[in-house]
Amino acid sequence: MARVNMLPQLPVVVELFDISLGYGRRAEPILTDVSFSVREGQFLVIVGPSGVGKSSLLRVVSGLVKPQKGDVYVQPQTRRESRSLGFVFQDPLLLPWRRVLTNVELGLEGLIASRAERRDRALEALSLVGLESHAGKWPNALSGGERQRVGIARALAVQPSLLLMDEPFGALDPGTREALQDELLGIWEKTRTSVMFITHDMNEATYLGDRVIVLGGKPATIVHDILVDEPRPRLRTRPAEGDFAGFLYKTFSSKR
Amino acid sequence: MKSQATTTNTLIQVVSVLGFLAVWEAVSRTNMVSPLIPPPSSILSAFRREQADGIWSANVAATAGHYVWGVLIGTVAGIALGYAAALSPVVEACQEGVARLLRPIPPLAWVPFAIIWFGISELAAAFIIAIGAFWVNYFSAYSGVQAIDRRLFEMCATFGQGGWWARVIKVVIPGSAPSVLAGIRSGLGIGWFAVLAAELFGIPGIGQRMQEASGMLATDVVLLYMATIALCYTACDAAMVLVSRRMLQWLA
Repeated sequence: MARVNMLPQLPVVVELFDISLGYGRRAEPILTDVSFSVREGQFLVIVGPSGVGKSSLLRVVSGLVKPQKGDVYVQPQTRRESRSLGFVFQDPLLLPWRRVLTNVELGLEGLIASRAERRDRALEALSLVGLESHAGKWPNALSGGERQRVGIARALAVQPSLLLMDEPFGALDPGTREALQDELLGIWEKTRTSVMFITHDMNEATYLGDRVIVLGGKPATIVHDILVDEPRPRLRTRPAEGDFAGFLYKTFSSKR
Repeated sequence: MKSQATTTNTLIQVVSVLGFLAVWEAVSRTNMVSPLIPPPSSILSAFRREQADGIWSANVAATAGHYVWGVLIGTVAGIALGYAAALSPVVEACQEGVARLLRPIPPLAWVPFAIIWFGISELAAAFIIAIGAFWVNYFSAYSGVQAIDRRLFEMCATFGQGGWWARVIKVVIPGSAPSVLAGIRSGLGIGWFAVLAAELFGIPGIGQRMQEASGMLATDVVLLYMATIALCYTACDAAMVLVSRRMLQWLA
């Protein structure tokens, strides 16, 4: 483990400056002085107890929520027919009246004029999550894990510079969760898309992340910013990791 | 398994209808209670008599005309206003009081005004039917939009589909379709009810013909038109069920 400033200086994909967040303009902030950047190809995990404002941070990056204070920089998308950000939500939020394929095409509408090209891009994204054969199905006919895979494919289809994932595996059973974690790492290694991943599960954070930012305190702020330079594939259960998760857990509880 | 259960169900339905007709036929033929109601077999002879001069088809065509126009206008207006109320806070605020005031009035209560405004005319009948179909469609469209998961709009916005038009086309219309289609279906039923009632007030069509026939105690003719309405209603409803099932495959 090392400090963040030892990272190679790759281009910044997203940067947050001094963000403060609260419900309403004048309300007490729930999150203060949050500053960090995500660099190209990085897998950043933000971990913290529920209600700390992790999801709101993502919504600030997307522009859906204005912070009380601070600025957000999002690297402009330079590649054609792509979007800067690709979102994956905890509840996959598929459109139930669209088949799997057209759900994945959603973000491409208005981006790629040709229907055939949209279809190819969507199929390509579906093959990344291994669901090409389900393209013609309705979301209701899929399992929870499959639905979340479609959600990931939908985000990958826009070929984003940054994949924003809001506790995407939180609602899945443990077996499916582990399978999807590994799939996600495989996709990340293949596409080298930067990822900003939110979770409240310390083990998930240390298994996935290059870098783990821990939020805690009241109002919450960054209490730890840790580079995890363990080789991959990482083991899920080994003493060192247990210790690390335990260490994170202790920091949380003492700061709350 | 499932299809077998459905087949058994259909069989039971057919048998029960046939049984009902048989009991009815037997009871009216024995003249135990007379005059109760003509036997179902009399419908056929009544049909032959009525249709000899083309009266039956002329009346059915007239009624169908009122029905189609009334239901069409009421349905389109109801859905359009329901969507407007659900999508625009201003329209929503405007409609709330007015809807509460007007909605409880039964469509038939409008008959005097319909006749004063439009005379004894096709338009008057269509107006009554339109009012009947309007409210059910209005509320189904409104509540259909209200019931859509708000998070879908936010999800769409993050995928570049946050514009007004994109929201309406990609979320509002498909998302409210189950409720809207159910509303159209009930509107079609209310329409048959209202068309007959409107015609009983003298607008030419099946209702008026039934009034004439009952005046002459031609109960078999009354029965013929009752059966005609039942058939029309069933056909409309079955068609609507098929259309809905086709459009809402994703619900299965």
